Amino acid sequence: MKKKFGTSNKCVGIMKIAQTQRPAYLHSNLPVMSAVLTLNGITKFYGSIRALNNVSFEVPQGSVFGILGPNGSGKTTLLSIVLDVLKANNGSFLWFGQPGSPEQRRKIGSLLETPNFYHYLSAIDNLKITNSISGRGNAQDIDRILKKVKLYERRKSRFKSYSLGMKQRLAIAAALLGSPKVLVLDEPTNGLDPVGIAEIRELIVELRNSGHTIIMASHLLDEVEKVCTHAAILKTGELITTGHVEEILMDEDVVEVSASDVNALENALKELSLTVTIVGNTVQLILPKGTARLEDINSFCFNRGIVLNHLLLKKKRLEARFFELTN
Amino acid sequence: MMTSLLKTEWLKLKKYWAFWLMTGIVALTYPGINYMMYNEAYKNNLNDKRMGPILRMIPNPFAFPDVWHTVSFISSFFLFLPAIVVIMFITNEYSYKTHRQNIIDGWSRNQFLLAKMIDVLIVSLVVTVLYTVVAFVLGNVNTGNTEVSVWSNTRYIGLFFLLNFSQLSIAFLIAFLVRKAFIALGLFVFYFFPLEPLLVALGRERASDAGRFLPLEISDRMIPIPRMFISNETQWKSLVSQANLHIVYSIMLTTVIWIICFWINKKRNL
Repeated sequence: MKKKFGTSNKCVGIMKIAQTQRPAYLHSNLPVMSAVLTLNGITKFYGSIRALNNVSFEVPQGSVFGILGPNGSGKTTLLSIVLDVLKANNGSFLWFGQPGSPEQRRKIGSLLETPNFYHYLSAIDNLKITNSISGRGNAQDIDRILKKVKLYERRKSRFKSYSLGMKQRLAIAAALLGSPKVLVLDEPTNGLDPVGIAEIRELIVELRNSGHTIIMASHLLDEVEKVCTHAAILKTGELITTGHVEEILMDEDVVEVSASDVNALENALKELSLTVTIVGNTVQLILPKGTARLEDINSFCFNRGIVLNHLLLKKKRLEARFFELTN
Repeated sequence: MMTSLLKTEWLKLKKYWAFWLMTGIVALTYPGINYMMYNEAYKNNLNDKRMGPILRMIPNPFAFPDVWHTVSFISSFFLFLPAIVVIMFITNEYSYKTHRQNIIDGWSRNQFLLAKMIDVLIVSLVVTVLYTVVAFVLGNVNTGNTEVSVWSNTRYIGLFFLLNFSQLSIAFLIAFLVRKAFIALGLFVFYFFPLEPLLVALGRERASDAGRFLPLEISDRMIPIPRMFISNETQWKSLVSQANLHIVYSIMLTTVIWIICFWINKKRNL
């Protein structure tokens, strides 16, 4: 895997690019956003296993914030901590600048890990309990939300008679009850069929457009790319990177060049890109998407007395990028 | 806040079949077993060689005011019925993972446990109401003398409630610690019978009655055995003399149990 998708050195390089070469549109006149959620050095151990190590980031208001990572990277653990289901061994978190409290959780619609409902109760009765605890929504809202997630026809059936997809949709309904301004959704498309996945994606976009802040954990890159504005990438409990999705998951240009003196070539090219590596008898440099102009590179090298014998622009796929970051 | 917790728990409880099944079974068992005891252990024994003289000497234990005491003692043997409901109802929260969801939705950990304590109180109350009705009806049927006060000895209503709450709290503690319905049920029922009665009997013979401080026996002894069931007068008198002290012990034990539950609930991962 590493050979195919690059080395960890590159990963650092990519992060540098992400930090230093922000696309111009990200600097434009965006409103200053206050943080909905702030994490400060969250560390969590399960016995001797370190599930999270010193994780810090901010979730800006109005964002759809994806927490990305492969299975077992600590996504659910992180969400469990901010929802006070798990206790962190170290570090702290703030919701709207305040330490977490039941009052704040009542205002947040959450789906954590699996749909958790009373098996012997119907969808309506389960949502009545959600309403009774959180104070979100009312009887009309329960009907409205069940129609929205397409469970209205089965609203009186017991939860245990539901399919996996229906259970997941009820969990989404519970999170949406009373239209909370902040939603925490852990793998929201789990167990849904392709149509269901597309519906949830539309729903998230709709919520984003109406000003909701959504914190979403996922291992589905596609899902994150399509709906998220921001992301944090976790790998075995470490925060690899965080920021705007365009920055993190930005496709980039990889240029492969070669000359008789590879080392001299590498030194020269360092003026062009922060990420220059020797791969075999070629040199690879990575540039932000759409900025690699082969003519310019060629004349740049020629002006420094290096004659190229190989010059090739390679496109990198998004998936490769994700593997690079998490492997 | 308490009414909101109560309302939420009632939403969970009112459509839970096991709760109504237990209520139904208890509603049938209490009158049944008390009527059986009235016939078998009292009426048919009036001419018994050993018990007959004692039974003829004491006032009718199934008439006012003694009926409150007698029925509470007999009914307490069926505590495992409500205990099953308490154990199922708390372990449900763990198997459905709703113990997490309740917190996520906005309860504090203490509120979650307080809500569970309300459940134990509700079950204790339901059982106590059933006991009260049965004792009241039996007392009315068997009391010929209208001079006798119906309401003296009604302190047994309070004691029966306390006994239920105390012992169901022990069932709750086991379920809360184990989290698995069938393991918790097995442990509680095995301890309820035969383990603790065996240990109490052993303690009586070998360890100067140290068994009276076992968790269930502590509250059992708030309601001493009625005279109709015991021939040994010295033993009976000593049991009666212990009863008031055991009310204090029971309250202490129950308080400690809930302190332990709240403490664990605060510490452990959900």
